[in-house]
Amino acid sequence: MVVGQEVARFLFQRIASGALVIVFASALTFFFVNLAPGGPSSIMRFDVSAEQREALIKRMGLDKPVVERYADWAAGAIRGDLGTSLLSDEPVTQRIGERLPNTLMLAGAALVVSILIGIPIGLIQALRRGSALDHLLSFYSAIGLAVPVFWLGIVLILVFAVSLGWLPSAGVTTISEDTLVERLRHLALPTVALATTTLPTIVRFMRSAALEVLDEDYIRTAASKGLAPRVVVTRHALRNALIPVVSAVGALVPRLLGGTVVTESVFSWPGMGRLALEAAQGRDYPLITGITVVVAGIAVATTLLVDLAYTRIDPRLRAS
Amino acid sequence: MKLDLSSFLFRTTSVLVVAALAVSACASPTQPGASTAPSAQAGPVSGGTVTMPIGADPTLNPWSPNAFIESLFINRVLFDGLTKPGKDLAPAPDLAESWTTASDGLSWTFKLRSGVKWSDGTPFTADDVAFTFNDIVLKPDLGAQNRASYAAVKSVTVVDATTVRFDLSRKFAALPSFLAYNAGILPKHVLSANPLTTTTFNKGTPVSTGPFKVDKYTSGQSVSLVRNENYFGAKAFLDKLVFTVVADPNTQVAQALSGDLQIMILDNKAAVDRMKSAAGLSVVARPLVQYYWLSLNQTDSRFTDVRVRQAFVTAIDRAAIIKSVELGYGSIANSPITPALAAYYDPSLASKYPYDPAKATDLLKAAGWTPGANGVLQKDGKPFQFTMDVGQRGVLEPVNALIQQDLKKVGVIVDLNTMEWNSYIQKDVVRREYTATVNWWTYPSDPDVFPYYHSSAAGKGFNIPGYQDPKLDDLLVQGQSTSDLEARKAVYKQLQQYTSEVLPYLFLWYPQEIDVLSTSLKGVPELGLRDAMHYAGEWWLAKK
Repeated sequence: MVVGQEVARFLFQRIASGALVIVFASALTFFFVNLAPGGPSSIMRFDVSAEQREALIKRMGLDKPVVERYADWAAGAIRGDLGTSLLSDEPVTQRIGERLPNTLMLAGAALVVSILIGIPIGLIQALRRGSALDHLLSFYSAIGLAVPVFWLGIVLILVFAVSLGWLPSAGVTTISEDTLVERLRHLALPTVALATTTLPTIVRFMRSAALEVLDEDYIRTAASKGLAPRVVVTRHALRNALIPVVSAVGALVPRLLGGTVVTESVFSWPGMGRLALEAAQGRDYPLITGITVVVAGIAVATTLLVDLAYTRIDPRLRAS
Repeated sequence: MKLDLSSFLFRTTSVLVVAALAVSACASPTQPGASTAPSAQAGPVSGGTVTMPIGADPTLNPWSPNAFIESLFINRVLFDGLTKPGKDLAPAPDLAESWTTASDGLSWTFKLRSGVKWSDGTPFTADDVAFTFNDIVLKPDLGAQNRASYAAVKSVTVVDATTVRFDLSRKFAALPSFLAYNAGILPKHVLSANPLTTTTFNKGTPVSTGPFKVDKYTSGQSVSLVRNENYFGAKAFLDKLVFTVVADPNTQVAQALSGDLQIMILDNKAAVDRMKSAAGLSVVARPLVQYYWLSLNQTDSRFTDVRVRQAFVTAIDRAAIIKSVELGYGSIANSPITPALAAYYDPSLASKYPYDPAKATDLLKAAGWTPGANGVLQKDGKPFQFTMDVGQRGVLEPVNALIQQDLKKVGVIVDLNTMEWNSYIQKDVVRREYTATVNWWTYPSDPDVFPYYHSSAAGKGFNIPGYQDPKLDDLLVQGQSTSDLEARKAVYKQLQQYTSEVLPYLFLWYPQEIDVLSTSLKGVPELGLRDAMHYAGEWWLAKK
């Protein structure tokens, strides 16, 4: 079938260019973090003598040229070995594997919350354009974008964990009682904090996309031929307005993975954002490169999925 | 470039958080342990869990180069040393029962406790001690942490199953004190193949000798300890001691307020009033073996004149720094020996350099620095101006800003160069490419400060200013050469007086630590929390 072949070719092209992006990202990260001043925390501490420093540099292989070290790292990476963390001596894949699920859970929850709330709000604002409600919701969006997550996070903890005592203040679960309910309770506050950064983006995209669509001739036609307003909005307007929103969601995913750094620190969430921060501060070269590769991989995969989602929503794109 | 995000956040949030704390104080807090009528509990009882925060995942191996401050607390519970800091901070028996030095002072012999078992049931012997030193600490290619402290140790010899001898290349009277400081003994039968990077040990469930042992290590979340039934001493009262990873100091405060933590160091001193007013929490100040200093690089000829150093220390309003930056938790320092070392500390020096800009101006004038244009001091037509490197950590940034203002008042222009911590260490410590910088030293509970002041450590060791002085060298060696307490007291009294006079470093202040404890937590000795960790087996929780 011709269509099947075209889809296969499209996928192949996209995967090949995605792989290139990942290779480029890994090389860029590796060379840049190595160029940064300082070195691994074990040697950049006050109470280490010059002699100890030399021994450790040798043990970590940092006496070799950067190009040679990158070649060694890349040779391992092709086989799925991202090297050994300089800060913990554990395999990088193991360290990422421990943290990635937590970050995906937090980012995923924030994204789902943002979509479920953001699309209806954006649509309502478009339908009530210029009303007091529209202005009020726009105002809230602006606040959401402006409030720093670290502050909001602490305020949420003080209100819901300290004063009211309803929700736990930090961590993914209770050590003594690791149940699904406990995990959801722990997820609540960080999700709200993180979703606050993404929700306004979705609301704004949804509002402007819906406004554009509502002005289209076919909406007026649908309305004038006597269709119920609910059908016009959901069947005709929403579907078309979603196209730019889907691309906004795609762009949000890498931003969410980055945005988790602060949220994870405030809520002691053992995710990859905090790991990346530790790796950067401690100059854990293999770990920071490994994290970059994984995040780049996720970004590439999301872009691909978004493109595939387009073709589901908009049949016209299937041909091109 | 600000990579040190957590410290940045800490500083930026502090102000906002204090405001938020004030608001939450108005809402009636639902504090656990707020019961006002505790049942009359006379003695210690067994049971319960105590949770304390640490900043990052620990490395459970005291000699690993990756065992940073977050590892120190837990390692002091897990791994006994030959000695430990006594409640007076003098070395007290731990795995060793007693110790003596040879008459020539060139060896120390330690008699080990018998019947000690590792947490896996294997007997502890003198071989473990010899292994820890000969095969780890004294092996140059391993780069073990704290190795530099044992430069005087040639080797450790097993005399018999319960006796070891440390053979020295020079006299080292402070050895028993140093062995109490992050010098836990490691199990030979587990680590002989790979002593420093066995991850099932360092990041898992190590075999240890202390009153607690690791039950579970969950990366990024917590390390749970349970009572070690094989412990040689009295069994621990607590069922569990949990170290929970909480990176953000403000979150630590919130967790303590919600009753999730029973003991912690309050890094964010701005929150101290809120903690004091919280029901169920008590706030205590503890002395530390720590002092802040300003190092003036002695390769810069402007700073080799002692009058300039004395002028600076007179021009800096150290009382104001303690008040504004440490909220009063600290005292003025004029020597490296801290008040925590009560047996040695000389309190008469505390008032040696009162804040006096006029006197500072006179001293600078005597050194040839006279006011030029705009009041800036100059000598040979060159203005007195230099750069201070500021590492982004703790209180260093506000302190440097205050020093900058104080020196400006006497006509000395300081430019501040703020740097991310890791890069700062490379520039100022590794390469010694700096003119002036502020930092602090924490050291074992002994006045032997040889590594930080001896001329052999100038330029490459811990002698950061690179100060070299035969008279000081002589005092440092004398202090190491006698084990007699009274003789040592006399030497270190002289050393305090001499250092306060010549100012190898400009001494700033001795900080105090603020500890926050649950009121139901008992049995914690009145020491800094790092030292109190050695007594975790004695901690207990009063029943509510």
